[in-house]
This record gives sequence, structure tokens and C-alpha cells, in this order.
Amino acid sequence: MKVDRRSFLSFLIGGAAGTALSPMPWKLTDDSAIWTQMWPWTPVPEDGEINHVNSTCTLCPGRCGITVLKIDNRAIKIEGMKGHPVNDGGICLLGLSGLQLLYGPTRVKTPLKRVGAKGAGHWEKISWDEAVAEVVKQLGDLRARGQSHLVGLITGSDRGTVPQLFTRFMTAYGSPNSMRTPSMLDSYELTLQLTQGTRALPGFDFENADFILSFGSGIIDGWGSPVRMFKAHSSWRSGGGKVIQVEPRLSRTAAKSDRWIPVKPGTEGALALGLAHVIVKESLYNADFVDNYTVGFEDLQRLVLDKYSPESVAAITAIDQKDIVALARDFAAASKPLAICGRGRGTVSGSLDEFMAVHVLNALAGNINQKGGIRAFSEIDYINWPQVQKDAVAAAGMQHERLDGAGSKKYPDARSLLNRLPAAVRPGAESPLQALLVTDANPLYTMPGSTAVKKAMADIPFVVSFSSFMDETAQNADLILPNHIYLERYEDVPTPFGLQQPVTSLARPVVEPQFNTQHVGDIVIRIAKALGGSIAGAFPWDGYQTCLKETLGHKWETLMAKGFRLDNNYGAPAWQMSFNTPSGKFEFANKETGRVPQYTPIKIEGDKKLYPLVLIPYDSFRLFSGYIGDPPFAVKTVEDTVIKGQDVFVELNPETARALRLREGQHAILSTPRGQAKVKVHWFDGIRPGVVALPRGLGHTAYDKYLAEKGVNFNELIGPVEDPETGYDAAWGIMAKLSKA
Amino acid sequence: MSTSDDNAKEISPEAAGEDAKASSSEIKNKEQGNGSGGPGTLFFMLGLAVSLILGWVISPELLYSQKKQPIDYNHVLHLDLVEDECESCHFFRADGTFSGVPKMEQCIDCHEEVQGEDPEEIKFVEEYVAKEREVPWLVYSRQPDSVFFSHAAHVKGAEMECVACHGPIGESETSRVYEENRITGYSRDIWGKNIAGFKKNSWDRMKMDDCAECHQKTFTVQRTDVKTPINRLIDNIIAVAFPGMEVSAGIGDSVQTQRDGCFVCHK
Amino acid sequence: MKKPTRYGMVIDLDKCTGCASCMVACMAENNVPFREDESDKLLSLTWMRVYKLTNGKPFPETDVCYLPRPCMHCGGQVEGYSPCVVVCPTIATDYSMKTGIVSQIYNRCIGCRYCMAACPYHARYFNWWDPVWPDGMEKYLNPKVSPRMRGVVEKCSFCFHRYQLAKEKAYMEGRRELKEDEYQTSCTQACPAGAITFGDLNNPKHAVYKYKKSPNAFRLLERLGTNPKIYYISSRAWVRRSGDNYLKNESKPEKAVLRAT
Repeated sequence: MKVDRRSFLSFLIGGAAGTALSPMPWKLTDDSAIWTQMWPWTPVPEDGEINHVNSTCTLCPGRCGITVLKIDNRAIKIEGMKGHPVNDGGICLLGLSGLQLLYGPTRVKTPLKRVGAKGAGHWEKISWDEAVAEVVKQLGDLRARGQSHLVGLITGSDRGTVPQLFTRFMTAYGSPNSMRTPSMLDSYELTLQLTQGTRALPGFDFENADFILSFGSGIIDGWGSPVRMFKAHSSWRSGGGKVIQVEPRLSRTAAKSDRWIPVKPGTEGALALGLAHVIVKESLYNADFVDNYTVGFEDLQRLVLDKYSPESVAAITAIDQKDIVALARDFAAASKPLAICGRGRGTVSGSLDEFMAVHVLNALAGNINQKGGIRAFSEIDYINWPQVQKDAVAAAGMQHERLDGAGSKKYPDARSLLNRLPAAVRPGAESPLQALLVTDANPLYTMPGSTAVKKAMADIPFVVSFSSFMDETAQNADLILPNHIYLERYEDVPTPFGLQQPVTSLARPVVEPQFNTQHVGDIVIRIAKALGGSIAGAFPWDGYQTCLKETLGHKWETLMAKGFRLDNNYGAPAWQMSFNTPSGKFEFANKETGRVPQYTPIKIEGDKKLYPLVLIPYDSFRLFSGYIGDPPFAVKTVEDTVIKGQDVFVELNPETARALRLREGQHAILSTPRGQAKVKVHWFDGIRPGVVALPRGLGHTAYDKYLAEKGVNFNELIGPVEDPETGYDAAWGIMAKLSKA
Repeated sequence: MSTSDDNAKEISPEAAGEDAKASSSEIKNKEQGNGSGGPGTLFFMLGLAVSLILGWVISPELLYSQKKQPIDYNHVLHLDLVEDECESCHFFRADGTFSGVPKMEQCIDCHEEVQGEDPEEIKFVEEYVAKEREVPWLVYSRQPDSVFFSHAAHVKGAEMECVACHGPIGESETSRVYEENRITGYSRDIWGKNIAGFKKNSWDRMKMDDCAECHQKTFTVQRTDVKTPINRLIDNIIAVAFPGMEVSAGIGDSVQTQRDGCFVCHK
Repeated sequence: MKKPTRYGMVIDLDKCTGCASCMVACMAENNVPFREDESDKLLSLTWMRVYKLTNGKPFPETDVCYLPRPCMHCGGQVEGYSPCVVVCPTIATDYSMKTGIVSQIYNRCIGCRYCMAACPYHARYFNWWDPVWPDGMEKYLNPKVSPRMRGVVEKCSFCFHRYQLAKEKAYMEGRRELKEDEYQTSCTQACPAGAITFGDLNNPKHAVYKYKKSPNAFRLLERLGTNPKIYYISSRAWVRRSGDNYLKNESKPEKAVLRAT
């Protein structure tokens, strides 16, 4: 049959009519609508049973209790643990971002051995057996040559079983070179030792204090245990407590304080003594305490009356005399005043003189061991391991002087001077360290003078990192033995800095280990056992968990059930029992050592002629500058006046900016004696003229693409400045220059 | 084994036939008016027939892929053995969430070892229990991720029977074929067995309109008759298109629709 | 007659430290994606965003205050007339008379962004890109909140899924009413300063009812008549004043006057 045009059209029309009468057009339209509304590539998280696991966050020194919400085996969200003595349900943005670290791209997924040049990023995946064997071989060889003292250790802290296992290992192995990451704790410990005779953590009763005089401490910028500080801050806001912030820059803490004292940077100690002058002169001090429980008050009196009158202090600090007098009177008149120090987050050890001067104010107010005051807090130590039986090599090794000079004749009071390590490892010469173990620390990024640290590290032939993350130090190591992250492992968590009551918490596995990682405690024990002899003998446990359980004893049950253990009965002793000094009293001054509180300016690096500005760092709570870098969520919260694209902003007073002819948002070159960087300028009225401020926590070269290569690492622009008395790094800034880019 | 297809096929030609009849009579009238006939009509009929067959029979076949459940499950057998009917395995957790399809954890209570001689059970124990794997059940009622459905609200709150939405699945002795929509990836049960979307029972379809059937009626909030421009537009459209239908009287949770709010069933 | 439930928030700006916990608590709870560069804040998805306000005075009189800004869940001048709801052409956003919450249904949204233009608070965000999580990170996604796709608008939902979960629990226990602590948003719960209070603004037993009556309480852009459900408290007059656009010589009217309009 011939198909003509008319028939064909009829066929088509019939087809169209039939199609319209069939459900398919509507069905297909509906289906494609559904398809476009639910793209198959948009992830659909699987639902399941909700459960909660209590643990402890160890990402920062704050040590908050956390409750992790899980759906079946997946951790979904981290929340603050209700009823935990540190944070009672509150949680900070880093704690909240923990799952981005757990499941994130920065994890080291398996042991890695460097192939190619150091820091080039070429790695070979190796097994755990190979990794442990490599460490054992290197350390064994050194020991066989009688060079055990050439091994160094850098830890994040020295409290708790894991750091203690490491230092124990060093002792049994035979090296005195255990170092911890510096912090304000260094100077606080020493202040308490010199004045109260106890080398201890300071405990502050913020919750009951009603007048907080802070010398640059970032109360709500991450100082101490951050969530606890936020809570205390809120209690002052609703309970009428006053906060006075002494700081050259209007930080968050300064902005939220009742009074901001924009002191000239680096002169905080002088201001403290100026306040002491007024308090002493006007007899505003606590006479009962000063007369009966202190020695050296006459020396203090003479000194402050002579040298720190409001006139002279006003000249040093650029604070009005009247303000100094008024502040001193307010402080003394408050019922529970409390003075604190340690700049920003307290990541720098600081100047001992400054800490002593601030502590003098507390003593004058008589708030030692009082409600709302400060106490030397000796943690009830649960680690009672038998003493290490050293063999001959270990004994000989331990006889060597520490490489960083801590405990030497020059710096007898210091315990660890990591800041002095780069200078000790001189380029060109044979490295005084042949091996370095790094755990829970990222010195290559966090140490001032990080460029020098990197160079020193390159000269050490064998660097082992135990980091869970590919941080800067791990990147430049020879071997990485990745630890479980805190959500995958057991660990005891001792009392965080600043608490007035002992709280032991437990970090416990929330999820199964996600990758081929191992608990660092197990690895230390394994390495020790493989080295054999007295080293193996010092580690009688078959693994870390056994060690932890035995060490905690009866506490283990409580910790497993509750997640923390609070010692409520820990009371501060009365004044007559409080001091372990030779005099049995609080020592304002010590006749034997000739030490009296004074203000010794810490001279920062740089020539004023070449570098007319002062560069200071600032800690933003949204930027983490320690071992842990900002996870993506935290980076997202950073303001566009801090980072824009890859550029970081420096804060500059408009007056200074105009003088330098730098517009808002303009590129500039920031140079210091240590280095230079391209930055952008942000006009900020809340900063002293002549001062430039740069945030800490940026300029990472490691971590993920959400953080790396953004801004500048402040530590590249500054170097350590030794406190002449302690050897601790006391640099609070550096001279700098800003020029148009 | 009776599958949903058989039903669909049964209905389709019938419906198609009716439509065809109706259209052919129109055409006849036309033809008479024109006075011409012949090949045109024939081709029209042919086109109509081809497209109707395509639309009602072939395309639905093509649109869905047939998938077999990993294990042929017998609801009747299990229901005889348990005490708490559906909720014995599909239970509510204490927090009010619904467990849905049982996990291995529950099955293992009885099926740690092989209980009988059923080859499906042997397969289940060997393939899944022994290997500690979850069974990748194909869930007929799986809704898109944008849907929030609270079993607690319906079963505990409104005291509805499982059957109302899931049908007599408890009476099945064997797992029927899972038909997956090749475009959307969802089960055919959502659209309904009937390709035209007609439903006889309340459980025949599980699309938004089916939820709205009830959620339109059960208002819990009295509100003033404030109307947004969108409401007014909707009202006008309804008034023009369906003159008999009552325009919503301004009650209901949603300002936009006067029904229950969108967040009731969406997430 | 009992007043209907109207969920709302009171944020104490004296307590708020600007720490951004609320921002991250929200992102973690609601599957908010992130990108390599988040420094363009117009493109950065932050249902909850902390703004920094300054008093504009030179050193050393400068002062700074932080202001967290979720969706205001506006009631509108006549309830239901929220700025965004009335302009939505697809019923993708809606105002609930049961809870007072402004909902956003992502797969109804056609991405016209009319609502974004209508919102005076910049509380709405557009997904310019498909969300991408680094390999493995999808594991932490919350199944109670559906991840969004490219081309739709999203915003704070007052963690409505938490309301739904609380309701489920209530049904299990044979209740219809929720207790105050049963339904709290993620930001409220996380705030380490305890600055955020969430609850039924119409329920005298809830804390927000008391706080919203504080003499220091104010709302943002009140004069627009948006009737927002977020109240702020600040003891600093300049902060209260910056809650609305005042002419230089115009004084902030007394609370009573505002209420009457």
C-alpha cells in the first residue's frame, strides 16, 4: 500500500492523540521533575538508630566534656556534655568541627616513610611492623654508639599518661632532651614556685570573682579553658562582675569588658607595679594577709614607691595617671578582685617579671586561696609508676646537659626551653640531635621563628612524627607513625589549665579507627619492648589500655561510667598552711636570691629607624594557632576583614594608615627583621596608633585546601626573645615596617 | 507469583479500549461530515493504536527495571511466630523514631543458626549472618530525602493501622518484584501500580497528594482569613477550574495553602 | 483563648562573645556545605551569621559588639505576611500558623531568589554550587536534614527537624505538647556563653517570654513592620540604636510607641 502524505499525517495525528490519551507524558514529566529535584549526586545520608557517646575533647588545652551523636556507626555531631564540670553543655567551634578532622582529608591514613628530599611530600606507605622496626633500628644504633642523649622529644604537654610514657621512655632510653610546647603555664608555674613555694598549676576561682583585671589575657579569645571562661564571663555579665582589659588592641575580650585600658604594648608589667604603688601608698591592701602571711613586703614597698609612681608609669604605659589611680582604687575596693596575665590564648611563655608583678596584685588583695581568688593547684597525681631502672647507657645519657639549656646554670628554673632549640641546632655543624620524636605538637608551625625551626629540623637526620594529621612537622619528617585521633582512642585527660578543682576526664573511642592508625601509647610501649633490656623493663604493660587501667585504678570505673571525675572536696588550705617557701609565707621578695618584683622591659627585635611600627600578634577565637589547624567550618567563620581570598589583613589605626598613605583594603608589604609578607590593610579604630596587628593561626602550608596557603604565619615574622631570667620566650611583638606593595 | 504488572496489564487494555472507542466514534462523525474516508482513517487508527500500546503497555515496562529482593521473605511465616504483630520487627525506639526495616542485629536473635530447611533461610544465614553483612533490602516504600514522615505521629498519635499505607504486606508469603523507576530511582509503589495513577486502596500510591488527602482535612489551627497573593491566586484558579469546589475557608497551618504546613511532611 | 505557639529567640548581646560556636553548631547540624574560599560573605552559606558592629568612634573610644543573625522568622504586619513568604511564586517558603516558623522546602524552590531580595536581613542564601564534601566527609552528614542541591535557596529553619524529633518522642509518650527543653535549636544548645534563649514567645512559662520584655530588648529593623521573632538584649545604647536605620538627628522612639505601630 502506498503511504501518501495525508496518510502519514493521519498516522502522526493518531499517534499524537494516542500519546495524549496514554499516561506516559504525564508520568515522564513527573519523573523528570522528581529527578531534577533529587539529583542523584546530592548525598542522601542514611538514617538509623540515634545513640550518644560521652568522651572528652582534647583538641585544645580546654578539655571539655563532649557528647557525640551517632546514627548507627556514623558520628554525626559533637555536642557539649551536660553536667561536665568544665563546660556543662557548652562547646566551642573547634570542638563542634571535630568530625571534620575525623573524616577529613588531612588524616595520615597509614604509616609513611619519606622518599626523596625532606619536605618534598613524597611518601612510601609502609606497614606498622616496618615503621616500628625502622624507629627501633635508628634508636638502637644511636644507643649502641653511646649517643642516646642525641635523641630529642617534643610533646604538646607533659601531663597525663601518654606524655608521661614518652618521657619515661626517654629516661629509660637515656636522653634528657624531653621538651614540651611552651605556654604561659611555664611562667605561671615559676611564679607560684618563687612566691608560694609550689611549682603548680594556677587555679582561678573566676566564678566567684567580681573584679577581673586582665593584663592582655584573652578571656573570651581562647585563654585557659575557653568554654569555662565564656561561662564565667556570662556569670559576670548577669551577676555584676567587672572586667578590666589591659591591652593595646580592642580584642573581643576588650570589647566586651567594662573598661578597656589601651596600654602601650609590652608595658603591662609596669602598669601592674604602678597599681601596686597606689595600693601600697594608700594602704588599700589586705593588711591581715600582708602583715601576717608574707615576707618581703618592705622591699616591695620601697621599690614600688620609689620607681613606679603614677607619673612614671603613665610615661611608660601611655595611660593617664588619673586612670591608673582610679583603677588601683577600684581593684582594691572590690570584694573579690583577681588579676590575671598571659597574652591572648597564652601561647607564649612570657616575661617572669610581668607574671610576678601581676601576682603581687593578687597578694596585695589577699585573694590567695580565697573564694574568688587564685591558688597553687597541685594536681592529685594518679600516675605512680615504679621508678625507671636505668642501665649504664641510660644513666650516662641522662648525665648530659640538656640541649635547650633548661636547668643549666644560666637558666636553673626553666624546665623546658623549646624556643632555644633552633639556635642549638646550628646549620652546617653536625647536628647535636640525631633523632627527634614529635607527638601532639607542630613546632614547625607554632614556634616563633618557624623558618629557623624548619631549618634546624632539616638538619636532624631522623625526625619521627606521631601526628594524626599531615601538619607542617609531619610534612618535614622522615617517618610518620599516625596516632588515632581523639575520637578513636582511650586517653586520660588531666585537669585543664586554670581550674580550681581537680577534674580527670576520659577520652574514649567514639567510632572505630577509620584508617590504618595505631594508638601512640601502644607504639611507645612496642618500641620500648623491641629495644629490650631495661627499656623494655620500664614498660611492664602489654599495651596502652592495660597501662591506663592500672594507672587509674579505682578511677577507671568512675571514668567509664561518667566520663569524668571531679574532686569536690579539694579545698584550699588556710593561709598559715598555704606556703611551702623557706619562710612558710608568701614571698613578695626573696633576700637570698635578691629577687624583687620589678619591670624589666623585654626588648623586642628590630631597629626603630628601619622598622618604625610595632607588630603584635592577636588571637582570634575563630583561628586556632596550635597543633590543630582550623577545620573547614572554623575557617568559614573567619571575617572578611581578616582573610579575603588568600590575603590576610593587618589591622592598623586609621591615623597611622593615613600617615603611611595606605588605604583600606590596599596591599602592602609587612617586613620585620625576620621576614616579610604581602598583606592587606584594614583600618581599625580599636588599635593603638603605631601598632600593627596580625592574627595567629594562618599561613599554613600543610593541612587541607580549606586552610593552607591562606594569609601569613605570624611565627615566620617573629623570633623568640629570651627572658634574661628564665630563658623562656617573652617576645610580645617585633618591630616592623609597612610599605606599599 | 502475581506481580503488580499483571494488574497493570489487566487494566491497561481495558482503559485503552474505552478511549479508543470514544475517539473512533468522534472520527466517524467527522468522516461522515467530510464525506471522505479510506487510508487516512486507517492510518489515524494505526497511529492511535501504536501510541496507545506504547503508552499503556510498552513504556511502563521500559520505565521500570525489575529487581529481586536479595532474600525471598515470608511475612506470614514470621507473623505466626511473633507476639507483637508488625511491631515485633518494625518497632518504635524509645526516642519515638521508627526502626523501619530490621537490621541484622534483630534477625540474628533467631537466625544465628539455620532454623529450618528453607533454601532462602540457608542463603540468608550463609551469605549474610555468617559474613556479618547487612541485607541490602529493597524498600518498596522508600521516600525521597526531602520527605519527613513520622511513624509515631501516624501510628501512635493518629492511631492509624500499618495497612492504611503499607497495604496487606503482612499477608505476603513471598517478596514481590521490586520495580525501580529508571529515571528517579524510586520504587513503583510510590507512583502506584496503576500507570495512570488511579488508586483503589489507600495504600496504592504514596505521593504528596496522597499525604495531602488527609493533611488537607485535619486542621489543627484556627486562623483569620488572611490571604497572601499566592493564596488568592490559587483560590481564583480553583474557582475558575472547579466551579463547584469550595474554596478554602482560611483555616489551616499554612499561610500559603491553608492546609497543613509544608514543614509537616518536608525536611 | 490560649495564644498559639510562636517560637522565637532572645539573644543577649552582653553575653555574646562573638565566638562563632552558634555558626558552626548550625553548619554541623544542618549539613551546610563549605568551599575552598569562603571569604566572599555574599556567597558563603551561613544560616547563622555573627555580625560585628562598631560604634564608629575613633581610638580609644572605639567599641565593638557582636550580633548573631539567624532567620528572623518574621510574622509580618498581619501575621503570615513575612517578606519572603508573600513573594515566593512556588510555595517553597511558607509561614506556619502552628509554630510561627518560616519553612523552606528546597525541592519546591526554583531558585528565582525573589525571597532573597525581599528579605531585609540577608538571612537567605543561594546555592550557587552543588555541595561537595571531601572524600569520606559525607559520613558526618545528618540524616534528619536533607542536603541541598545547586540552584535553591536555603536558610535557618529553627532546626525544625529537632521539633519533629521532639514531637515523635511526645507521641510515644502520649503527649501532644512539647516541654520547653525538649525543643531547642542547635545554636542555643551549643552557645558556650548561654547568650541564646529559645522558646515559645507566647508562653509565659518560657524564659523567652520574660526576656523579650526586658527594657534593653530590641529587634532588628522593627520599623519595617516585619515583626521578627528574634529579640536582642543590649545594655549599650549605641547597640540598641544600631538595630534600625535612624537618621542622624532622629532619636530612637520609646518601646511603647514601637509596639503600637
